[in-house]
Amino acid sequence: MADTINLFVNGVEVEVEAGKNLIDAIGAVGIEIPHLCYHPALGADGNCRMCLVGIEDGRPPLVPACKTPAQAGMKVLLDAAHIKKIQRDVMELELINHPTDCPICDQAGECKLQDYYMTYGRPESRMTVPQVQKSKKLDFGCGVVHDQERCVTCGRCVRFCREITKTGELGIINRTDAARVNIFPGRPLNNRYALNVVDLCPVGAMTSRDFRFKQRVWFLKKAPGICHGCAKGCNITIEHNREKYQDDLIYRFRPRLNLQVNGYFMCDAGRLSYRQENEGRLLEARLNSQIRPLEDVLAAYNQEIERAEKIAILLSPNCSLEQMVAVKALATKLQASLSGFSAGYIQQGDGDGFLIEDDKSANRAGLTLLGIDCTQEHFEKAVQETQLLINFNNDLSRSYAEHELKKLLKDTKVIFATSHDDSLATMADIAIPVAASSEYAGSLINCNNILQTFTGAVSKNHKPADIGELAAKLGSPLQNRAEQFAELRIYLSVLKDFEADTVPAEGLNLNDSEAANVTA
Amino acid sequence: MSAKVKTMDRKGASFQERLYLIEIFKGMATTFGHFLRNLLDNKKLYVRHYPEVQPEIPVRWRGRHRLTTHADGTVKCVACFMCQTNCPANCIIIEAGERLDGKTEKMPVKFNIDLLECIYCGYCVEACPLDAIRMDTGIFSVTDNNRESFVLSLPELLATPGAFSEEDYKKGGA
Repeated sequence: MADTINLFVNGVEVEVEAGKNLIDAIGAVGIEIPHLCYHPALGADGNCRMCLVGIEDGRPPLVPACKTPAQAGMKVLLDAAHIKKIQRDVMELELINHPTDCPICDQAGECKLQDYYMTYGRPESRMTVPQVQKSKKLDFGCGVVHDQERCVTCGRCVRFCREITKTGELGIINRTDAARVNIFPGRPLNNRYALNVVDLCPVGAMTSRDFRFKQRVWFLKKAPGICHGCAKGCNITIEHNREKYQDDLIYRFRPRLNLQVNGYFMCDAGRLSYRQENEGRLLEARLNSQIRPLEDVLAAYNQEIERAEKIAILLSPNCSLEQMVAVKALATKLQASLSGFSAGYIQQGDGDGFLIEDDKSANRAGLTLLGIDCTQEHFEKAVQETQLLINFNNDLSRSYAEHELKKLLKDTKVIFATSHDDSLATMADIAIPVAASSEYAGSLINCNNILQTFTGAVSKNHKPADIGELAAKLGSPLQNRAEQFAELRIYLSVLKDFEADTVPAEGLNLNDSEAANVTA
Repeated sequence: MSAKVKTMDRKGASFQERLYLIEIFKGMATTFGHFLRNLLDNKKLYVRHYPEVQPEIPVRWRGRHRLTTHADGTVKCVACFMCQTNCPANCIIIEAGERLDGKTEKMPVKFNIDLLECIYCGYCVEACPLDAIRMDTGIFSVTDNNRESFVLSLPELLATPGAFSEEDYKKGGA
């Protein structure tokens, strides 16, 4: 725990963390100071003046809270009449040229301007001159749509492009009420984190073309999750909704604060990876390309198991640790050779050292931890020796071209447990639908050796089993998540103090514990 | 506290009433009296000759819905979802899309009202910030023989005219 200091807010003594500015320090104990331009990741700018607070007996008596470090004994005034008047006047000023087109604005419902208008004063407009007209629906590139009229020129987006991505595509041009955010002519946003400006924008000036008009935000149900797009394992909020007569669909991923992993941001590719959870899913089990009830397919599986002398099992590097131990136990029971070969998931040179990693799989560290062989030689030898391959959602088309794959699996029967109805599912003799990553609970180890858990967010109409449950149905001795988690403790002694649902939200850093070096 | 007790006289206890047939004929006399009077002259009938005579619908009556249009015939609705959000019966299903006629940016591409689920509470009209949905068609009877045709779509909602003049509607307190 960091050092704490005591200060007074509206005459009430509160204990806050030292070394922070007033907004963060007082905000942490639940007292909100309104602010538009300040963002913890971008630092204080002090241009919006919304966070002006009074300091009793202080010099100067009025300070912007974002620029003022919390000090012991400070007497902060938030509810004095002159502070309220400032907040009300700033709101009035911001709204002079605001188009108030909330009915068609995607930000409505999570808009700071809307919230502060309702909280701080509800000023009536006193303007008698026409509003300044600016450009609307500007295409800034990378799927960012900008509306200059809604903008409050807080400059968060500009600072993000300068300080975080270091690309500097955006700038504020002109002064006073002609000031507007714009790109340089012919040079649109061009970085892999551009959609973060949509989250950063406190109002509806920056909106996402992908999310545009898809849903009103108050319909969305928010659930925490982990992005499975790469080995970084960025923390996300899965925002999904089941519309009447429809399936439960994800509408967007947004980054969730975790200073140990991704901070406040995530990459655009990961943000748009929600589409894979919705689209192209395998809904029904298939036997020789015929749709059959799952019981029939499992009966066929049992026959195949009886018939085959040797079996090979392939795991996806995206599986959770629980699924991996369940499948490993199944492999031991069937005396099958287990592989985690997934070279195709690695895109050499794609990572950027910030939030994008070369490895496009979420849990390769888990395969290593469980001592599962990931080499190509081992996998190919196993396939050639056996007549039956059980593939747990490993997208082999990433590792092999189609003709290579056909040649490799020529004499092999393939049982494919898959979330998606892709070319591999068409080729497979038996295809069994399984849950995608937003639909089950599990744990992952990311590229920095941080173990994180996540819970199922989406509940689909057809409710496919997750790989752990399927492995249990196929004969794995580990029947449920509790048993799988207990098995995990053999590999990770640090988990002995935790249950599956009590792992800290920010994750367990395995580098800190001696257990990191313990492998099977 | 003692309860207030009121003793009621039991009807039908007298000898005449207990004979039963006399009371039957008295009742029949009343019934046939009405029957003959209405048969000879039905002007004084207490019920309306529906459907030959339609009821008079006041302006504030909440009838079947319609979507209003601008003077040039384009839809006023901007798909803000206020009506869907407020609908307690959850009978409005909207899908929003890009608007390209220059009026605003957003418009509904699908706007369905399921009349079988609608409870005609009028909250959608109250919630609409643009006076785009009204219940002033004067239509109170919606009949059909299959469920699907009770789901009104965007063209049907736009095609129905209002039953009242603009002044009368505004005067009606809307």
